[in-house]
Formats: sequence, C-alpha cells, structure tokens
Amino acid sequence: MRRPALILAPLIATLASCGPTTPGPPAPGPPAPTPTVAAGQLPAPADFAGISDRAQRSRALFLAASPVFHHPRCANCHPDGDSPLQGMDGHLHDPPVVRGPDDHGVVGMQCQGCHQDRNLELARVPGAPKWALAPRAMAWVGKSAHEICTQLKDLNNNGGKDLQQLVEHNAHDELVAWGWSPGHGREPAPGTQASFGALIAAWVETGAECPQSEAKP
Amino acid sequence: MKLRVNGRERELEVDPEMPLLWALRDLLGLTGTKYGCGQALCGACTVHLDGEVVRACVTPMRRAEGREVTTIEGLSPAGDHPLQRAWTELCVPQCGFCQAGQIMTAAALLREHPQPSDEQIDRSLAGNLCRCGTYLRIRSAVKRAATAVPPVK
Amino acid sequence: MPSLIARRTFLAGLGLSAGGLALGFFPADTRADDDPRGGEPPAKPPTRDPAVQAADPALHPNVFIHVALDGLVTITCHRSEMGQGIRSSLPVLLADELGADMARVRVVQADGDPKYGDQNTDGSNSVRGSYEEMRRAAATPRMLLIAAAARRWQVDPGSCHAEGHRVHHPASQRSLDFGELAAAAARLPIPQPDAVVLRPRAELRRIGTELPLIDAPAYVTGQAQYGADISVPGMLIAVIARPPVLGGRVASFDRARALAVPGVRQVLELPAPTPPYAFQPLGGVAVLADNTWAALRGREALGVTWQPGEHATHQSSQQREALLAAVRAPGAPARQLGDATAALAGAARIVEAEYLVPHLAHVPMEPPAALAHVRADGCEIWAPSQHPQAARKEAARILEIDEDRITLHVTFLGGGFGRKSKSDFIAEAVVLSRAAGVPVRVQWTREDDIRHDYFNTVSAQQLTAGLDADGQLVAWRHRTAFPPIDSTFNTDAEAPGPDDLQQGVLDLALSAPHVLAEACAAAPHVRIGWLRSVYNIFHGFAIGSFIDEIAAARNADPREVWLATLGPARVVPLAELGLEKLKNYGQSIAEHPVDAARLRHVIERVTALAGWDEQRRAGRALGLAAHRSFLSYVAVVASVILDPAGRLRVDEVWLVADAGQILSPDRVRAQMEGAVIFGMSHALHGAITLKDGAVEQSNFHDYRLIRMAEAPRAIHVELVASERPPGGVGEPGVPPVAPAIANAVFALTRQRVRELPLARSLKV
Repeated sequence: MRRPALILAPLIATLASCGPTTPGPPAPGPPAPTPTVAAGQLPAPADFAGISDRAQRSRALFLAASPVFHHPRCANCHPDGDSPLQGMDGHLHDPPVVRGPDDHGVVGMQCQGCHQDRNLELARVPGAPKWALAPRAMAWVGKSAHEICTQLKDLNNNGGKDLQQLVEHNAHDELVAWGWSPGHGREPAPGTQASFGALIAAWVETGAECPQSEAKP
Repeated sequence: MKLRVNGRERELEVDPEMPLLWALRDLLGLTGTKYGCGQALCGACTVHLDGEVVRACVTPMRRAEGREVTTIEGLSPAGDHPLQRAWTELCVPQCGFCQAGQIMTAAALLREHPQPSDEQIDRSLAGNLCRCGTYLRIRSAVKRAATAVPPVK
Repeated sequence: MPSLIARRTFLAGLGLSAGGLALGFFPADTRADDDPRGGEPPAKPPTRDPAVQAADPALHPNVFIHVALDGLVTITCHRSEMGQGIRSSLPVLLADELGADMARVRVVQADGDPKYGDQNTDGSNSVRGSYEEMRRAAATPRMLLIAAAARRWQVDPGSCHAEGHRVHHPASQRSLDFGELAAAAARLPIPQPDAVVLRPRAELRRIGTELPLIDAPAYVTGQAQYGADISVPGMLIAVIARPPVLGGRVASFDRARALAVPGVRQVLELPAPTPPYAFQPLGGVAVLADNTWAALRGREALGVTWQPGEHATHQSSQQREALLAAVRAPGAPARQLGDATAALAGAARIVEAEYLVPHLAHVPMEPPAALAHVRADGCEIWAPSQHPQAARKEAARILEIDEDRITLHVTFLGGGFGRKSKSDFIAEAVVLSRAAGVPVRVQWTREDDIRHDYFNTVSAQQLTAGLDADGQLVAWRHRTAFPPIDSTFNTDAEAPGPDDLQQGVLDLALSAPHVLAEACAAAPHVRIGWLRSVYNIFHGFAIGSFIDEIAAARNADPREVWLATLGPARVVPLAELGLEKLKNYGQSIAEHPVDAARLRHVIERVTALAGWDEQRRAGRALGLAAHRSFLSYVAVVASVILDPAGRLRVDEVWLVADAGQILSPDRVRAQMEGAVIFGMSHALHGAITLKDGAVEQSNFHDYRLIRMAEAPRAIHVELVASERPPGGVGEPGVPPVAPAIANAVFALTRQRVRELPLARSLKV
C-alpha cells in the first residue's frame, strides 16, 4: 500500500507514522516507520532504529535530511541557473549577480565584494567564509531527494569528495554552517549542522542508499 | 592597524568591525568614496582592495588590514585615467554622487576585460545605481576608455 | 579629524582671495537691479558703498559678476547644482552677455542670501525664471567696461563692443582687456535698469551650443564636496532615531547603553513637532559621536520605544479604497466647459477608467546630510540645499535670531528632485548643534531617507470620455483625488485645489465641447512633498493611458487619437479651457500660453523619429504619451519586449522636447535621458506603502530603482529648436514616460495596467 506523498514545504515536513513493516525480502516497498519531529527540527539517527532493513533505513535517513538541501538557506546558493536566489520565495538575487567563470561572480560583482566572512546585522548582508555559488553540478533547485542524493555521491561532480569527506563537509564546513545561522531574521535550515551531520553520517554508515525517484519526506 | 591607502602607509586606531567606508571618510578625510545605502546595494562606496572591487560600506577594517586600498582619489595621480577623461569628454555626470563608484568598478572591469562587451559592462556595473539616469553615457564612456587603458599594474 | 573649512576647500584652486568676494556688502538698494522678481526700480540711482568699493577696487556692480584687476571674471551661480548642470549653463549665459572668455571665468556658488533674489532651485525654473534678469546682470558690467574704454579712447561708446574678454574699437583697431578696464569701470555710475541694453540674441555666442561640463573634473576625481563631505574642528556626527509613524513620540530609550558605545559623546532627544509639520525636525533621539560608525552603532543601542501617534492605524490598502471611493463621486469643479454631465449621459459610447499611483520617494543618491555650527554670534551651515533661503529662515526661527546672523553655504547636491528643498534635515543640525554646544553634522541613512521622506502624494483618478457615434470626443470628465502638498503646511488642507490641478488637468488642450475636472478630497498620513514633476506624474500617467484606452476602444491609431483629442494646432485661451485663471507655473499666460500646436508637434516628431507606422506594422510594441508641464512640451514613445525569462524590458525610447530657448543642449538632453530612467523607476518598480502608519520600505532592496542592466539599449532625444521663452527642462521629461510604457505594455500583451508600479501586475 502506498501512502500518498506529502507535499514538501520550505518549512520542515512533519513525518507521519504508519504501522511496522514485516521483515522479509528487500523490496522497494512502502515507506518504513519514520519519526515525527517538531517543525524546524531534524530527527536523530537513533529514531530510525525501527527500520530493520539497512537499505531502507539508509534511504529513510537521507530523506529525513533532505529538507535541509531543499531549504532556501541552502538551495538559494545551489541554483540550476546563473544567479543565486534570495528569500523564502527564491526570487533572483538583487542586485543582479551572475555565476561568472568560477562561481565567484564577475569582476565588479564578485560575491566577496559584498559578502564578508560573517553576517552583518546593521547592513543585513549575510556572510560566511568562502562565500560563493555552488558549482552548477551541485545544483539542487528543482531536484528531487533522489536526484540530489545521486549527485552528491558522484565523485566527478561533487568536488572529488568521497563519502567520508562528504560527512566531514556537511558536519563542519563553515559555509555549510551558515545555513543554520543566517542572521537578520532569515529562517534557518531545519535542525542544526550537528544533527544534519549526524543524519548524513548515519546515512553513509548504512550504505549511502538513495531514496526512490518519487520519494519525499 | 596598518594598511596602505592610495599608495601611502596609514596607521589607524580603529574598531576592526568599522566599515572601511567610515575609516576612509571620517578618519582619513578621503570623502570621494560615498555613503549611499550601507547595505552593498548601490555601489556608491566602491573602492579597490588589492585591486579587487569591494563595497567599503560593508568591508570591515580587519579585512583591509595590511592590504592596499585604492579610492577614487588614488585612481590616477593627475586625475586623467582614461575613464576620467572619457567621463569628462562625454559629460557623463549629472549630480556626480555615484560616479566615483561607477568609475572604480569600471576601472576594475577594464583591467580584466580591456574591450568589454555591452553585456559585460551591464553585468559588472549592475551594482552601481545612478538615480540621475546616466547609464547610457556611462556605457559609452567605458567603451571610449576601453581603447586607451594602460596595462595591468 | 581633518579640518577642512568648507569655503576654502570649495574655492580651492580658484585663486580668489576672501577680499575678492566682497559679495556680502552690497547695499540693499542695488538689489532691485538683479532681483529676478522684478518690481519697482529704485527711487534713486544705485550707488556703491564707498567702504566696499575702497576694500575692493575691482568691478562688481552686482552680486553676480566680479571682474578683477587681472581680468579674472567670477560669476556667481545663485541656484543649487544638483545635476541639472545649472553651473555649466547659467554662468555661460552671463559670460556671453558680458563678452567674457570662459577660460578666464570662474564659477562660484552663492551662499543663501536674499540679495541674490530667488534661490529656490525647484519647479524647473532656474533658467525660465531668471533668464532676463541674469542677462541684465551681465549687461551692466559690459556697459561699464565699454564706457570706461570709450572714455579712455575718447570715442563714442556706441562704436565699441565687448568680445573675447576685451573691449574693441574697430574703427581705430584698439582694444583693451577687461582687466585693464576693471578699475576704471568700477568708478563709473551703474546704469539705471531701464538703461541696460541686452545684446541681440545672435550675439550670445556660446549658449545654445555644446557646452562643457565645468564640474566634471571635480566629480570624476572625488573632489566635489557634498553635504556629508564637510568637516570642521570639534564636529560631532549625529544619527537620529525618528518616530516610525508620523506624529509618533519617544516613549523610552536607553541612553546609557548608547553612551557606552566607543566614540559616542552625547545622546539628545529632539523636540516632537506639532502639525502642520512643514520643515520641523521629526523628533526622536539623536546619537552624537566622533565618527559615523559610532553614531550608527549608538543609535542601534538606544532601543527606542515609541508612542504611536495619530496615524498609527493608517494602512495604504485602506487609503487606496478611500481614494477610489472619492473619485467615484463628484468633487469640487475646477474646470468646466459646456455641460459634461449631461453630455456624458447622452453620449453614444462611454469609455471610463480609474488609475492609481502610490506614494513615491525621492531617493537622491546622496541621503540628506547637513552641518551646522551654532555659535554665540550666529550660525554657520553647510548643506546641500535646494532652497537655501528657506533653510536660513528655518534656522533663524529655531534660534530666534535675525536671518542675517546665519550663513548658509550651499554644497554640491547628490541629487535633489525636490527632497532638498525641504530644510528639515538642516533644522535638525541646527537644533542639535545648539543643544550640543559643538558643530553637528546630521547624517541620514538610506533607511531614514526612505522612511521619512516628504513623499510624492498618492492618488486615484477617474477619467470618463463620451464619444459620439463616429467615435469623436464630445465630453471629458476627470476626477482626481490626492492629499495635497499644502497639507504639510496647513492642517485644514484635505483636498487638492485648482492650483494643484494646473499640473496636467487644467492645462490640457481638448477638442471636446464639454469638459469637467473635479478635485476630490483625500486626507494625508505622511508629509507630502514635491518630487520631480510632482502631480504631473500621476496626471500624466492617467491622461496618457486614457487617451490610449480611447484609441483601443475605437480600434484607432493612438497617435491619431492623441491629435484628435487635443484638437487643432492653436493657442488655447482660458475660456476654451473652461478656466477663469491658470497659475501656469508662476509665469504669464500671455508669454507661455497653453499651446496645442507645440504639443501636437512633439507628438508628430517623436512618432516620426520612432518610425511609429512602420515599426507597429512590423509588430513592435510601441506606446505613445505626451504632456505639458512647467511650460514645456514633451512626447515619448517607448518600446517594450519580453526577455527570454518572460520579464518586461523597455528596450528603446524616443523623446522629443520643446522647451523654448535652450542654454545648454547637452545638459537638456542629459536631463531628458535621466528623466526616462527616473520615470522608468516608478513605472516599473518603486512604491511607498504604509502599514500601521509606518512606511514598509527601507532601502534599495524593497524600493527598487532601475539599474544599468534594465536601461534601454538606446534613448533618442530630440530638442525642438525654438526662439520661444525658455520653459522648464528638469522635470518635463518625466510625466510622459510611465504612460508611454504602460501603453506599450498594452500593445505587447493586450493587458491594460492602470496601477503603478507595473511590478504589481507583471514580471519586470
């Protein structure tokens, strides 16, 4: 039985429970029991202990982490096109800026011409070290959890990071960290970098399985 | 802290978080760089930091420490950079307030793209607002100056 | 802290000693010579004060021209330079009239002083309002120099002429430099006003040609000094927390926390103003510090809480409905011809539409800033003021001293557009300097500028046309509702008056035999000001769109409908307009009539220039609009496209302006180019809205201006060659821009947008 998919909002999705699955042969079956979380939070890896199938658990862990990737604080700088986005509605960055030859803007409008290494409150300008656009190969806007997952694991397109480096990056990178401390009344990504990092670590540890194409948290 | 401004070593007692704009204007008396918005939206405060365009209104002094700042006053010793000449020949300025920022951005553009296309000009100067509406003349002046820029320093 | 005394810095390099500027000492009875308001000639011949003459033996018969003994001619520009290029044009007129060589002319900026006559740089009137008087101011020293030369040569002055900085006597091939004649000329009696002879127009050699921009070198090197660029010893910089809602008051603030910020020296509360607000400071709490950063941080630390004030329940959304309701009912008639009500009732066809334009903010690139130094003996001010005498008056009122104890130096203005005619920001500096006991420079942030502007007023209009069976216009009714500017100065003003409707509603030539224009009531909730073309912005938008709507209703060519609506080429007398009088921008209707021929002409020229017929046949989306304002006539064609992302773009604009005689074609073209961009900003983007009485916008992210990338590929400006008296040039380019764009949008999309900005309805 398929549960109807819930529409993912920019806010945290509430994960609904359903009954436990019967252990059996691995199959792309119905979604396993997944934990409920309060808005703006992420579940902990321990909350997935109820999923006995490792691959299923892995997929569920990634799905639970995916609202972070989709959140505007992260997705806005992982656009598919030539310009970063702004706001909760993902409008084009104003003043108009473009990616440039190496994702750091063009002369006169480079990211770090305006963005500093930390948020500026009086000036409202967000900042973190190494502020720049993610390369186009790391675009997330408009992509499903499945697509992002696949992309994330692709060594050729993820900055050459192996899975362990991915865990490290997500859990500790300063630019990634910004998503949870965006400053000036901007809504942060769900959970914390630590809880996000923990989900990713657990996902890697369970085999880094990618959710089904149509799966949503 | 120490930094070089227009080729001259300066030493300032200053809050490291003070934006470069206010150090330039209030502490060093270099008023050619203007305050227009304080949020890096208008470009009136554009200077070069080690040759790169930055908006001084949001650049903290700790970022400028030990580095080379160039303001409009230091763009050329005699005020005759090809952009300044082109701006004068084409009577570009109206109120003039945004023009230092426009010229500083254009100077960085020409250093990297000596023969910029229309699209490159529009993209690089997109952050410099002009309320008087001199944009079309700025485009023409950048192109006129493009044929006469000195080599990269 | 660097100590740059404004006047010296301002005049650096001009080589003028303080003595050469003995401009403050002319006796009052010489004012009538150069008083542009005209008036009665003095009862006795003007004389120089012997003490003044003894102090400076150069030739300076009036406050505008000084010819030094070495021949250096100093021309004083009495109007503020805010980008319209007045310093590069009006002085050239004087130099031409005098016969000076511009290479030996220096231009200095006048302080605010009634001896210069009207210094209000506003209403596009600097040239049109002072043209004659400026010429006479320069003709006077010319006559004196000629008289001095003629006397020396023992010839008839009529056989001499002045040109190229010399007086010439062709018959004997003698000539003398102005410098050699200045001392002698200075001792001759100044000619009576009615004896001053102007050159034939053809002898004014430079004006009307391509003139250089004399301040360009200062602008492009960062040397030009604006309001925030002046420092004096001991100065503190003030940043003020002002009530978010008009009429609000300070409830509490944390003085100690602000004083704890390094660099903060004083925290002062400003007196709360009482309506009518006029130019009073808005009140609030000021933080005074050694530098701007400390003052900004200090203000953040104040944590001011506010008592909301009477406008705290005001919502723009409600006001919009109230304005629409107002124009859906009759108002006070301001223009009546025939019986429009009956004619509309009997018309074969009715076209009706309502138009809305929000409050607009001036947003000059330079936010307001002013420096005041109140001393025991008076006050010295440096400010980017459009109206220095009004500022002086305000300072005198605050300090309760005579105006002549106040010196006001006018700096360059980083844009004005009307904002800097209001001296509230200067008043703040005066109040704070007196309270603080030191010179104080007040710095407005961009947020302050957008939140606390004197906004262009908000409006709704209803236009109704009655057409006969052939589609000809037989009746025209225009209802307009807006809180008037007068409400800022007069608490009873809650409806526009006839003088307000003169901006576009009353001076519109119409072919209809039945015309009615009505002013409908509207209450203010902000300080209403005047912004570059003022009420013409929304009147021009409504009328310009409406004529296009009539054309669409008739499936006719908008150009033809414009010409048919205006009626034949003619000067339209007041009676035919349906008026008893017309304020006519302060000038005589005889000299500047409502001339349908001139408006028709610019429409015909701009459509020809734009290739109206061919381009439209080829499928290009063009829009046409025209407007008379400030005694000039402008027509605009705009072309719009959708870019690959589906975003509206204005890709090309044509503009033809008839402004009568023009001093500097380049500066007028620049004003028109700028007016296109200026008009595009409010057509596409900018709107000021209020929620719970407070302005919702604060900086360029939510009050957007046109950026370079949005500017058209080309703006074609043509100036009509004319010998008519000068009309305005600073403002008239603005009103036709928004309607031309809206009309082009209709041509492109068949979508009629009646409410600005277009961003509300379209992707822009």
